[in-house]
Amino acid sequence: MADPVLPTPTPTPNPTWARATPADGRPLTSHPVADPDLVDVLVDLFDDYRSSRPGPSVNLAFDADLWGRLDALGLTRLSASEASGGSGAGWLEAAALLGIAAGAAAAVPVAEHDVLAAWLLESAGLPNDGRLRTVCRPDPSGVAINVTWASDAASIVALWEDRDEWRVADVASGRSEITAGRNLAGEPCDTVVFDLDDLEGGVVVDHSIGEQFHLRGALARSAQVVGGMDRVLEIVVAHVTERTQFGRPIGRFQAVQHLVADIAMEAALARSATDAAVARAAASDWSDPGMLFAVGVAKSCVGHAASVVVRGAHQALGAIGTTREHELHLLTKPILCRRSEFGSVHEWDETLAELASSAGHDRLWPLVLTGRAAPPSVSRSAT
Amino acid sequence: MPRPLIPPIVTEQPALTELRHEVRAFLAEQIRAGAFVPHVDTWLTRWDRDFTRELGRRGWLGMVVPPEYGGQGRSYLERFVVTEELLVVGAPVAAHWIAERQIGPSLMRYGTEEQKQAFLPGISRGEIVFGIGMSEPDSGSDLASVRTRAERVDGGWRLTGTKVWTSGAHEADGFFALARSAPLDPAHRHDGLSQFIVDLHAPEIEIRPIISMGGDHHFNEVHLGGVVIPDERVLGQIGDGWSQVTSELGFERSGPERFLSTFQLLAAAASAMNEGSLPLDAGLGRHVARVAALHHMSFAISSALEEQTESDAGGPGASAASGAVDVDTAAAAVKVLGTTEEGDITDYVDTLTASGWPRGDELFSLLEAAILQRPGFTLRGGTNEILRGVIARGLGLR
Ligand SMILES: Cc1cc2nc3c(=O)[nH]c(=O)nc-3n(C[C@H](O)[C@H](O)[C@H](O)COP(=O)(O)OP(=O)(O)OC[C@H]3O[C@@H](n4cnc5c(N)ncnc54)[C@H](O)[C@@H]3O)c2cc1C
Repeated sequence: MADPVLPTPTPTPNPTWARATPADGRPLTSHPVADPDLVDVLVDLFDDYRSSRPGPSVNLAFDADLWGRLDALGLTRLSASEASGGSGAGWLEAAALLGIAAGAAAAVPVAEHDVLAAWLLESAGLPNDGRLRTVCRPDPSGVAINVTWASDAASIVALWEDRDEWRVADVASGRSEITAGRNLAGEPCDTVVFDLDDLEGGVVVDHSIGEQFHLRGALARSAQVVGGMDRVLEIVVAHVTERTQFGRPIGRFQAVQHLVADIAMEAALARSATDAAVARAAASDWSDPGMLFAVGVAKSCVGHAASVVVRGAHQALGAIGTTREHELHLLTKPILCRRSEFGSVHEWDETLAELASSAGHDRLWPLVLTGRAAPPSVSRSAT
Repeated sequence: MPRPLIPPIVTEQPALTELRHEVRAFLAEQIRAGAFVPHVDTWLTRWDRDFTRELGRRGWLGMVVPPEYGGQGRSYLERFVVTEELLVVGAPVAAHWIAERQIGPSLMRYGTEEQKQAFLPGISRGEIVFGIGMSEPDSGSDLASVRTRAERVDGGWRLTGTKVWTSGAHEADGFFALARSAPLDPAHRHDGLSQFIVDLHAPEIEIRPIISMGGDHHFNEVHLGGVVIPDERVLGQIGDGWSQVTSELGFERSGPERFLSTFQLLAAAASAMNEGSLPLDAGLGRHVARVAALHHMSFAISSALEEQTESDAGGPGASAASGAVDVDTAAAAVKVLGTTEEGDITDYVDTLTASGWPRGDELFSLLEAAILQRPGFTLRGGTNEILRGVIARGLGLR
């Protein structure tokens, strides 16, 4: 059959065109965003914090004053349930707080205290008096390393595996031995030694709690890193617009523009991946079987984006960006620290590689979309 | 806080998922029946008019075209999921790709009633096939420098010049030619350009093949030897060509074809790792993660474009959240990241395969095709260097 020839014209007037809408009126998408009023409060609060805090230092000390302000607003236990004394917000709000606080390099343990410790205590049915807490996973000999904020905490929530059972205990600071240390970001990052016998076995929690802890920690870190990247981009854009060399702002040079574009794109990719995992967590209260994949995608994208963002930002800022006095290191150091916590970037890539290879050729796409590689019959009967 | 580069993510609801499954089941059946062999970069290289018409019969073409013009009156989001499903299985979609992606939407926006009646039903049935007539031998990235001349004649415009890299022109029925309808004013280079709907079967048009480095023929040089285009085949307004062309770009740049061109290769690599013919490697995880993130970004932009289209048409309009984002900048970001990723997948699989790999093998033939197509990924539709400039402008640096 010959290909049809284009129709020849017959002139007629041009009415306005109106787009048709979907026939059966069912929603096609939902828009998972954090409560905008809360976000406004957070942005104002942390902008104010950033502009009024003392100049950047190499080591960070717990900011009791900021913590008090957050506590007064119910933000230190934002995601804990109201029954347990928290504010009962969801993960969308929790992630917003983590990101905005990280963008202000706020020296407060919002991730540890709220989304991890308070959640563990509640899952274990243990009371929470609201005093400052951090969390850790001691090894079988009772030793936990790299425990952020341990020396500042009134109590440390320990999660450990004992003969196939996961156990949780709330350990007041005097009952463990703490050796102070610092991580790359200059945050307190300590070694904690517990006497596991003294903890009387703690409280046994469901297996899913032990597994979720790692995912929650990884996603909380991802949310913090993307919040930090937002601020890095802001600093970079401001710098290349203001700094003049060769008689013009360096942002006029195409090489610099491309560096900045790459930072912006990688940060945006990391944000999309993280927000998608947060949305999935919020929609299912972490029960979605695709959470492992979704968190892995976030952790992988965030981890690789960190390489581009940190390298590019320091390159664009020149020597000034390498100094103690400059804000940049308050963001770039935690970005690198946090991308490696709750599983290295490589470990998460391996996890995803295993999920992808076992999904195989025909189920790779369903895995990408849903985080599950269920056989066709299962996914079809679900609709 | 900085203005976000990408609109906030959106979550797919069951109405869309059901549509996906419907398309997926049809495609699985087609593959089983041998109707096509999955491949890479099929939206540029695999023409199959029968397959295209079958999609039209099933209502998966002209999806955003209103029913009064023979379309489905559905949304860009529904079209998005259909498009993704077609691309991930490497279906032969080149015949309708350009018409479906940008010609239809452009006609709906700028076309006259008569033009819409004339073309949209045929596009929606998969019977009228279009190409893109933008690039010229001396006008690539600097598109505003096009030299194809449009001269006023009685009742129309005479077009003289040469278009190049015209994908599929030898199969297509028509293209939109960008031409200079008024002399170049160096102070206003974007003025004086116009778009014309050109019938490629006209006798004054000569189409010469350009063979690609792998030996196949999808490129052409199209010589416009004084063909007269009647006034009724001017698209939009004379002199508005530049803004019309650039408004196509949000749609052209952010779609799933910008990160899924090599998905079949990634899927084959995943299988090969499962079967042990490739080593299980963390790099697979990294690439799968990026593809998943790109899906979220691209889908978010599609949703924002949908809202923009609704507000253009006097509908509910852009939400506060996505209204804060410049969609063209966001689309440029997806295209740079996505087309880079398509190529990186190719290079990644290439670095894992030894020279002793059996040549007839499925993975190897996908890999070879992907290697040959890769240079085009980051060139077509605006090069990645140009797009980084678009992003820099969106960030306020230019
Ligand atoms: C597979 C494929 C299909 C295509 N299909 C079509 C089609 O159907 N219809 C059509 O009209 N066109 C088509 N094109 C053409 C495409 O639009 C052009 O290739 C593209 O616009 C780039 O132009 P060019 O190839 O002339 O490269 P050039 O513009 O000459 O660029 C060469 C290099 O210089 C860089 N460069 C140029 N200007 C700048 C600048 N200002 N700053 C920094 N770097 C710069 C580019 O990024 C690139 O790396 C197709 C191209 C490909 C590869």
